[in-house]
Amino acid sequence: MPAVIQVENLSFRYAEAKKYALKDLNFSVEQNEFLCIIGANGSGKSTLCNALMGLIPSYFSGKMKGKVTIMGETTSETTIGNLSKKIGLVFQNPFNQLSYTTSTVEEELAYGLCNMGVPRDEMARRVKEIAKIIRVEKLLKKNPLELSGGQVQRVAIGSALIMKPSVLVLDECTTQLDPLGSEEVFDIVKDLNKDGVTVVMADHDMERVARCADRVLVMSDGEIIALDTPRAVFENEELSKHGVDMPDYIRFGIALREEKLYEGLSPLTETEAIIIGKELVSL
Amino acid sequence: MSEKSKQAAKSKSKKTSSYVPIDSPIDRLHPMIKIYAIFCLGIGCAVFPFLWLAYSVVVFLFFVAWKAKMLTKFAGFITAFAIPITVMLLFIQGLYSPKNVTILADFGFAKLGLEGVLYTFKTVGTLLVFLGSFYLMTTTTYPGKLVTAMQDAGLNPKAGYLVLASLNVVPQIQRRIAVIQEAQTARGVEVTGKLKTRFTAFLPIIGPTVMSSLIDVQERGMTLEIRGFGAKGVKPSSLTELNVSPAEKAIKRVLVTFLILCIAFAFSWAIFTRVR
Repeated sequence: MPAVIQVENLSFRYAEAKKYALKDLNFSVEQNEFLCIIGANGSGKSTLCNALMGLIPSYFSGKMKGKVTIMGETTSETTIGNLSKKIGLVFQNPFNQLSYTTSTVEEELAYGLCNMGVPRDEMARRVKEIAKIIRVEKLLKKNPLELSGGQVQRVAIGSALIMKPSVLVLDECTTQLDPLGSEEVFDIVKDLNKDGVTVVMADHDMERVARCADRVLVMSDGEIIALDTPRAVFENEELSKHGVDMPDYIRFGIALREEKLYEGLSPLTETEAIIIGKELVSL
Repeated sequence: MSEKSKQAAKSKSKKTSSYVPIDSPIDRLHPMIKIYAIFCLGIGCAVFPFLWLAYSVVVFLFFVAWKAKMLTKFAGFITAFAIPITVMLLFIQGLYSPKNVTILADFGFAKLGLEGVLYTFKTVGTLLVFLGSFYLMTTTTYPGKLVTAMQDAGLNPKAGYLVLASLNVVPQIQRRIAVIQEAQTARGVEVTGKLKTRFTAFLPIIGPTVMSSLIDVQERGMTLEIRGFGAKGVKPSSLTELNVSPAEKAIKRVLVTFLILCIAFAFSWAIFTRVR
């Protein structure tokens, strides 16, 4: 699988900050991979997302070392406008994603396409297509500001997706949603990943990360602490030292092993936990 | 906070522009025709030497407002603007204009002059034409349509954004204030009632409103960039389709003719008065 994102020796220090927010990061993301970034608050997740989108160094001033390459294009050598055709970013606060120059959801979705000069017919077709994916067909004529948090979040994802990016970066985009709205958004992201979009998602919900990610990147104090499969990452009990919670199912597996009731791998999902539970009951 | 004021705050918090979506012939009119109207009527009244024209146009604007189903709001806007500005200008120009020759009243400390009074009413009339027509344009024109029309007419997309952002700025500040007021109400702060109570509640909002507006500017800039705004070598397109009907073309011709006639009359009148 070719790498769509290549991060090499990336360090970044915000202007006037003493400490580096990112410290010598090296990793790559393969095409169609679902990579989750986890870490405590202030560990550098959002800074990394901004660096992937090219907002660092284009938008945030500071000292940057190393480079980020998105599908062969170095972010520091191109414009964000050019990058937006390849990579889409969804902010933590969905209201920050809105242009505030449109009065309906369909216009909001089409905003990026208008900027790219996409013909009207093609634009209307893509709006319809994306509205179906993000499940806002019935909201197209509504004012974006009349929507619920979950609906705005879907519009925010749609506004990034409509540009047909190959990579979607989501910066803790479900933190402001209730569990139901959060799951709705996550389902959409999972579907997109199945359809071939590479996903990089910063998230706090460890159960969800364990369930969906192909790989998990753990950050602490601007450094990469671990980068591996969810099972390998979450089985590491040292993780809590870096402010990262272990998923409950993993805890369950570890507890069973400690009680010498079970010897296999810890469950990652509810289904796996149920299977183990059934096995234990039948013994 | 009463139910009514809560609803008002809620509706304010969701509005993004001054536009009031009411279906009417004025609402359906091509935005560029409305812009032509502002300039042709405004400049025409400004150059025309007599004040009756401006007030005739203001009366005509009331008719337009009635057709746009905005009569009450328009009347409120005109009154709110006309009274204070007239009083202020009457005081400055009416009493202290150096052009005052014909004295209408002597107050002892100052004399009210006819020339100053006429100048005041001419200025107020022209301002009412400009502001009234602009008010009708912003309240009856969907912002997206306006910018599409302006960009179709050759406006730079960045200037187009500036127009939209400017149209949206006041409602957005109102929205933010409404949100902060809701938060204050939830914490038991009284934000309605006597003027003093309202003022006391409003004062602490100014800081957070200004600060959050500044933060917004930074975030908005980032959003626009990642959404392709200002992409080089691209002519922006629009989801909205706009066509100028034959009737709209006729209105445009009438407006331009009005302006030309006003300028021609003003020019002739200036020569006539000089010769006389």
